[in-house]
Amino acid sequence: METRSFADYLRTLDDAALISLFSHRPDLVTPVPPDVASLAVRATSAPSLARAIDALNAWQYQVLEACAVVAEPFNEKNITSLTDKAALFVIPGLIERGLIYPGKDGLYLPTTVREVLGGDIAGLGPQSMAKLNLKKLEEAPAAAKKALDAMVWGPPRGTIADVKKPGAGVQWLLENDFVVVANSHTVLMPREVAIYLRGGKIHKELFIQAPELAGDKRDSKSVQLAAIANISTFLRWTEEILNFWAQEPAAALRSGGLGVRDLKIITSHLGVDSNCAAFVAELAYLSGLLTIEADDRILPTNQFDIWLTQSPSARWQSLVSQWLITSRMSGLVGKEESKNVSPLGPELDRVAAAPIRKLTLRLLQESEGSAPKIESLVSLAQWNTPARRSGGIPSDYIIWNLREAEWLGITGQGAISKYGIGLLQGSDLDEIDEDLPKPVDHILIQSDNTAIAPGPLEHEIAQELAILAEIESRGGATVYRFSQSTIRRGLDHGRTGDEIKAFLKKASKTPMPQPLEYLIADVAKKHGKLRVGNTAAFIRCEDSALIAQIISDKRLEMLSLRQISPEVLICQHDAADAMAILRSFGYLPAGEDSQGALLSGPRIQRAKSKARPPRIVGEFDRPDELQLEAALRALRTGEKSSHRQSTLRNIASNALGSLPRTTANETLDILADYLRNQPATSLSIGYADNNGLVSHRIIDPLKLSAGSLIARDHATGEVQTFRIARITGVAAI
Amino acid sequence: MSEGPLIVQSDKTLLLDIDHPLSTECRRAIAPFAELERSPEHIHTYRLTNLGLWNARAAGHDAELVIDTLIKYSRYAVPHSLLVDVAETMSRYGRLRLEADPVHGLILITTDVGVLEEVIRAKKIAPLLGVRIDPETIVVHPSQRGAIKQSLLRLGWPAEDFAGYVDGQAHEISLKQNDWKIRPYQELAAEGFWHGGSGVVVLPCGAGKTIVGAAAMAHAKATTLILVTNTVAARQWRDELLRRTTLNEDEIGEYSGAKKEICPVTIATYQVMTKKKNGVYSHLDLFDTHDWGLIIYDEVHLLPAPIFRFTADIQSRRRLGLTATLVREDGMEGEVFSLIGPKRFDVPWKEIEAQGYIAPAECIEVRVNLTEAERLSYATAEPEERYRYCATTRTKRNVVEKLVDLHSGEQILVIGQYIDQLDDLSETLGVPVIKGETPIKERERLFAAFRTGEITCLVVSKVANFSIDLPEATIAIQVSGAFGSRQEEAQRLGRIVRPKADGRGAKFYSVVSRDTIDQDFAQNRQRFLAEQGYSYRIIDADDVFQGKI
Repeated sequence: METRSFADYLRTLDDAALISLFSHRPDLVTPVPPDVASLAVRATSAPSLARAIDALNAWQYQVLEACAVVAEPFNEKNITSLTDKAALFVIPGLIERGLIYPGKDGLYLPTTVREVLGGDIAGLGPQSMAKLNLKKLEEAPAAAKKALDAMVWGPPRGTIADVKKPGAGVQWLLENDFVVVANSHTVLMPREVAIYLRGGKIHKELFIQAPELAGDKRDSKSVQLAAIANISTFLRWTEEILNFWAQEPAAALRSGGLGVRDLKIITSHLGVDSNCAAFVAELAYLSGLLTIEADDRILPTNQFDIWLTQSPSARWQSLVSQWLITSRMSGLVGKEESKNVSPLGPELDRVAAAPIRKLTLRLLQESEGSAPKIESLVSLAQWNTPARRSGGIPSDYIIWNLREAEWLGITGQGAISKYGIGLLQGSDLDEIDEDLPKPVDHILIQSDNTAIAPGPLEHEIAQELAILAEIESRGGATVYRFSQSTIRRGLDHGRTGDEIKAFLKKASKTPMPQPLEYLIADVAKKHGKLRVGNTAAFIRCEDSALIAQIISDKRLEMLSLRQISPEVLICQHDAADAMAILRSFGYLPAGEDSQGALLSGPRIQRAKSKARPPRIVGEFDRPDELQLEAALRALRTGEKSSHRQSTLRNIASNALGSLPRTTANETLDILADYLRNQPATSLSIGYADNNGLVSHRIIDPLKLSAGSLIARDHATGEVQTFRIARITGVAAI
Repeated sequence: MSEGPLIVQSDKTLLLDIDHPLSTECRRAIAPFAELERSPEHIHTYRLTNLGLWNARAAGHDAELVIDTLIKYSRYAVPHSLLVDVAETMSRYGRLRLEADPVHGLILITTDVGVLEEVIRAKKIAPLLGVRIDPETIVVHPSQRGAIKQSLLRLGWPAEDFAGYVDGQAHEISLKQNDWKIRPYQELAAEGFWHGGSGVVVLPCGAGKTIVGAAAMAHAKATTLILVTNTVAARQWRDELLRRTTLNEDEIGEYSGAKKEICPVTIATYQVMTKKKNGVYSHLDLFDTHDWGLIIYDEVHLLPAPIFRFTADIQSRRRLGLTATLVREDGMEGEVFSLIGPKRFDVPWKEIEAQGYIAPAECIEVRVNLTEAERLSYATAEPEERYRYCATTRTKRNVVEKLVDLHSGEQILVIGQYIDQLDDLSETLGVPVIKGETPIKERERLFAAFRTGEITCLVVSKVANFSIDLPEATIAIQVSGAFGSRQEEAQRLGRIVRPKADGRGAKFYSVVSRDTIDQDFAQNRQRFLAEQGYSYRIIDADDVFQGKI
């Protein structure tokens, strides 16, 4: 059996070879398999092989394709003749990865590899059953030649009107078995014919060498300068977005994520394009600096406060390290074809994101000192990881990665920066702190009511200014504008006019302009002149002596009265209570409505209108024909299935007595054996459900694939997928 | 990291630290491509705009120079995206050219077929085009030369116009510099314009734009049509031309509401040009009646829309725009660029002030407290009447009176918007008033008397905003205005910054009612004037009464 022979081969391997296998395919040891048999099972399973195959470069992939089309056992010569001598250097690598293995009399290929490689490997059809006289192809008539040409480089199928009445060319090909009939409209070209026509090779073009990476030379100094500018800009963006949302939280969409409107708001707030704003928001989200609250508000977390206190290098690292590993692709936002994908939303995850990002960065690192051209980098990446199964690396992903790396300052002017290299090598990033522009501790106030911070401001000054002024322009410097409303905001925050003046005088390197001083004094003078508060009732009287009497009346203390003018008192009780209490102590109050009109009682009282009491409904509307029919149908179906299930369950428990128990490997072997040798035999299995409850099932196995068994379940009569790991045992009935 | 004077912001503004030793050098370097937006005392703000970058391209500067300049003077690393954007924007200019072809007439030529393909598919452009000669060339209907430039600019592909100009009917004009000398910057401006073919010269108020116009005429030596804002300005242009050039009275005609003379040099007002008779602009024919070699637009930022429309049709004539600011309150800067031409010359007024050609000015805002009664009636006034009410309160009168008193002996202009208020002030102060209904003759007589010092104080309405040369005015007192319009402020200030014989500084007072919308407008004014670099103070009316000014 195949798995067994692969297991046998694995048993012959020494430690070094096993270690090399594991290092190429780390999924084989996570978790560590209990024995070599299990290892063999895992190594020949489709998901594991798919991973291993995806990690091959284009040339290795082509050699593997060649291995998959020759008959087993094969040798190196078979492969080199189909491809190129250079394949000799690649075959040992494929053996190391366990994608081909040496058996008794030559090299073998785990069958699942063919499955993973897909239907028409290298565009070749199945092997021919008949004996072919390939020489005769040279004499093919023109019509036949045309048909051959159409099929030779794959796909190996040709569609014709009717196989019973083929044209002369196809007729000739059919007669000579150069094509075979697949179905009534399709003919297939056998593998041997295609290989012969391809001149004994299987690929039109061999990708032996990696494509050359083209790029523009970049001066190291300007790269670092640009990168550090990007780093400081990115940190600023992050801070600004979060500060913005702290004041005006965005609301998440019902489907999760940030709506177009809110994205637009932050886009214009930052003054960048929407892709960039989406990326900044995403990265803050990934780094835990912001979260979507249960009430759908998007708010910065307290992690953000911690983050703010960290050094720039630490802040940068905490963002970038998340970017390196995330599976989210914020570039998907705003693409034409994915209109509903929103930042912070649930649809951004892509399996390939992190590996492609890693690859992009590796290639950037290899081309240090130059800014690679995008097309060139894309084709090199695609050579490195052809990922044929999924149609190749999307070039968009690489373009987005490059764009994001630039925003983050991993690259500067398109070339990798020393900070990027430091990050990838895991070295200390303290240089960032040294290279960033030093924070400035002063501003320049001008008489057009602006203040300019000619560099990144120290945190405390920046925070105070954020209250006292509006930011008008951002970048290396910050331009603040004072206005009546911003000064008012400062006063609302509890600063006094003099404090504001003192702070600005201290922070400013230039003398305070007279108009600003005037503005602050003017606003401070007026601030708080109007007072607003809550009260439940008021007591007013034109006789201020009476008011004085009431306020000094000890018996009325319970009303907690406060005098707000000589003629007005306010109290915290409602008007009716206040009147009752006043009356009880001998005063003669009268009520006043909100318009000031005197209310004279006693009034005849009325409640506000109220809903009528509910009515009990005793009769039903007659359902219509459709509803009746649907109800009947549902009833019958339910009845049928429950009857069938109970009878089957009875039969099964009678027949089995107890649950079969086998290990997963045994299960696999037994199932594979039955499938190969006695198809259409019903088996009994124990199958664990989500809750771990094991049930008996009677099944007709159909196919084994990717760790699952596809079989027809007798109980439901439907074809179902059973996970091998969940099958507790299998036995013949 | 260099310690340069310039900080390049990501929103495309450039902050120039003028206290930096390299600031003058840097200012010269960035002036060709960046628009000066604000110039207060310490940090000047420039802005990179598409029009500004194209202006630079038109003047022969390329993207590389712009980028090098930014990097050279920048204190911090320049955002890469901004550099890319600059290069991208500048590369859009000049990919399309309008040229004169001996066979096909006017043609549109491209160096980039893709761009041509894009623009000929645009709905607004297709009807202006004729046959395609080859992939790079297409015929343009000659009458659509202006329209196509407008449309191309709107599409973001401004065309360079190499189609040339007609010389017009020759007419001998030269400068007559016997008792005066043309200033260096005026000469540079005229030359800059002449080499560019057509375009706009930006000079601050009081810097002598008329002389630039005269110098341009002396270059063209051809019949000239001059478009000005009003009749008084027309007369002043005439007087100035008579004094500065070899032209005599018979060669200069006035085309206004009062007279309709057409001479080799004709000065027409916007008002008469845009006057409609039975729904048609009957006077626009003036553009065609003569084979003008040069058309001068005075105060181009005020150019009314119908004139634009007509200007589009006369693209083969040289056009010179004169203005103190390219800012148009209606946002039609793009039209000026495509129809009159790119900016050919500008110089910050600070530089001219430093050279002593314009007088320094101080702006003082006087805040007046309304009386209780006035506050009450202000609060209850109809919204549309409110500005008028607070701008014309009686309390202001006392302050104006006191200010005039404090400056007795100097030449004072009291400027206002509302006629009743002006009449009232004229009566209180015992000085003449000039308003819309004052006959031209009388206006000229009063202005002349003011210039000679016979009268020391004049009350004027907005008729005196533009192009009235009153060199000896040193004090302006503004009591009401057109809702804080930036242009109006610049113009009014321009009245008093002409250089004084004794080198005195000028004072520009605005009397403002506290806690009213008058004060809100004053805030705009403060911002604008401070941005222009004028010193600005706010004082209380009480300070005025105590003589503390």
